[in-house]
Amino acid sequence: MSVTPDQTLDCSGLACPMPILKTKKAVDSLQIGQVLKMIATDPGSTSDIDAWTEKTGHQLVASEKEGDKFIFFIKRTK
Amino acid sequence: MAEKLAIVCTHGPEDPERATIPFVLATAAQASDVEVVMGFQVDGMMLAVKGCADHVFAAGFPPLKELIDAYLEAGGELYLCGPCVSSRKYDPATDFIKGSKVVNAATFVKVFTEATNVLNY
Repeated sequence: MSVTPDQTLDCSGLACPMPILKTKKAVDSLQIGQVLKMIATDPGSTSDIDAWTEKTGHQLVASEKEGDKFIFFIKRTK
Repeated sequence: MAEKLAIVCTHGPEDPERATIPFVLATAAQASDVEVVMGFQVDGMMLAVKGCADHVFAAGFPPLKELIDAYLEAGGELYLCGPCVSSRKYDPATDFIKGSKVVNAATFVKVFTEATNVLNY
């Protein structure tokens, strides 16, 4: 993955909706244009991050899967 | 018009899943920049009684207390049905967690009609 995150948030083991709540706080702590790497193990995270970025206007730059982990790169846009 | 979600909770600690899911939706909405108001009627108002939610756990979800704390931290309020509170002999001045407001029907009507969507649990 070529995206270099400015901050990493590990939500492994957390159930819905905690990954989204923690992602919101982490993204809010970034500067505009910076990228958060968020790691989750909840399979629902994929659709949740899609919906959350669409709803909030932040950008899902990339995503990948490593074993049982779902990894998202989210750029703060506003 | 700004989006506003009203969530009505009518189940208390006797049904952990129905008590928890409204807070899952409420906190997710807050995190999605959607304004939220929660109303508590019937046994749902029990969730605002101090200590009542501390030991409510639904399988597959975070502890209810954790969700309520997150909801309050994000500025959420709990509107409690006045007659439901009175009939259960609770004291609005001392018995409820912070963020609780005991209200009557006209307030609920105002809150619900101002919302863009209302969810009832």
